[in-house]
Amino acid sequence: MFASIQELVSIAQEQDLPISEIMIRQEMERYNESRKQVWHRMSQNLDAMDKAVLKGSTGKGVFSSTGLTGGEAALIRDYRSRHVSLSGDTMLAAVQAAMATNEVNASMGVICATPTAGSSGTLPGVLAALKKRIDLDRDGQIRFLFTAGAFGLVTANNAMIAGATGGCQAEVGSASAMGAAAAVEAAGGDPPTCAEAFAIAMSNLLGLVCDPVAGLVELPCVKRNAIGAANALIAADIALAGGSNKIPADEVIEAMHEVGMALPSSLRETGIGGLAGTKTGQGFRKTIFGQ
Amino acid sequence: MPGEYKSVFDIIGPVMVGPSSSHTAGAVAIGRAARHLIGGLPQSVRIDYYESFAQTHLGHGTDYAIVSGLLGYAPDDGRVPQAVSIARDQGVHIEFCEKEGPSPIGHPNTAVLHMQRQQRKMTIYGCSIGGGIVEIRRIQMAGYDLQTEGMLPLLLVEEMDQSLSNDGQDKGDRIADSIRAAGALRQSNTYRSGDGNSSIHVYDLDKPLLPELLQQISRYAPNMIYIN
Repeated sequence: MFASIQELVSIAQEQDLPISEIMIRQEMERYNESRKQVWHRMSQNLDAMDKAVLKGSTGKGVFSSTGLTGGEAALIRDYRSRHVSLSGDTMLAAVQAAMATNEVNASMGVICATPTAGSSGTLPGVLAALKKRIDLDRDGQIRFLFTAGAFGLVTANNAMIAGATGGCQAEVGSASAMGAAAAVEAAGGDPPTCAEAFAIAMSNLLGLVCDPVAGLVELPCVKRNAIGAANALIAADIALAGGSNKIPADEVIEAMHEVGMALPSSLRETGIGGLAGTKTGQGFRKTIFGQ
Repeated sequence: MPGEYKSVFDIIGPVMVGPSSSHTAGAVAIGRAARHLIGGLPQSVRIDYYESFAQTHLGHGTDYAIVSGLLGYAPDDGRVPQAVSIARDQGVHIEFCEKEGPSPIGHPNTAVLHMQRQQRKMTIYGCSIGGGIVEIRRIQMAGYDLQTEGMLPLLLVEEMDQSLSNDGQDKGDRIADSIRAAGALRQSNTYRSGDGNSSIHVYDLDKPLLPELLQQISRYAPNMIYIN
């Protein structure tokens, strides 16, 4: 089992295999399962992601019971069809899928946690862009999830992935870095380039706090996933272009851990500080839960 | 690897009803572990929340999630949001308490469940460490106070007398040996009851036990509890 990104990349290079394949083989060995079983399970998770994207993007979209979030993925869909967008249609496909997923999550619909429910829109967002831009087929999409999972395992074990322990950098930050690494593999990049993209994406979101209004996974979570997906694509492109983060991925994970430990409790999923503590944020809390 | 996450599906998954993997899916997993430990749906339960759980359980659906686990639902079961009223309709007495102060087991996402089922009383201390993965760090039952390493799976074997098995080997050691042979033993501990007449062996496991091995263990330890 790989304990660091460096080790993961070395194993992949020594065996001349993509990181997705290292992850698949380790899973088979550890749980005595066949390739077919492991592949099928991931395929089911991809199905759940696709369903959530579709649900949040259909008609007027979905709305949470509090009224704080909903319907904005559908707005993006309509905007894409009627306007020349500023950031380009691939980027907006990612934004739409990311927001659709987290709107479904906020409405207590079914999603696949990647790595968490609060950050469940980021990987589907990246996938939407890859489908559109490089025609990533279904097998490629499943491989993408194994690669993302391998990077996520190291992050979860060496830092954290819960907003309550590390802030949003540990959720959307981790998801975005996982997505960046997996996007590089999908685009034909080698394992060191995957690690570079991971490092860039995580560095970009370092310090992001978890400040959900009224303690609900709605504001600002839905749109933070749009940023997570967009950041992943940008980081993947920088790495594929040959750009370097200079600070290696494992050290970025250490930094994320250190920053997470330093965050006060009010900024770690307590619904007290940050946007949750603003006058308007507090007002929403009172309206939804009373005093 | 030093950390607790082992499977790719700990990271990509679970498929679940929203809105939070730690406060909803993880809470289902704590409830499910509690159900296994006490042997079914409890007749009464008081759930004490600490830190982030205390502050945000309402917004995250933690109440219905824990009760869903007690009812034996999966995290993606469509009945999850209605679980509290379903359980109350079945006669379960449920209380939720927001506790001040730090978690007794040192994690911001902590729920302590005080349960009763028939004559059995049990308190379990669970925490949700992120991505739907949980730890059970302490179990109080029948005069025992079990401190576990936390990660699941976990195997508990209660022994009423300290009898040796036919080959003269202590039962607890024998079980430990078979788990070790399967490459799944992280550590084991034995707790003796106050009167010294019975004991509980607690096995912290590195990976799930195969059904054949569980069956083999259950033959000489019929009252074992396995939570996965």
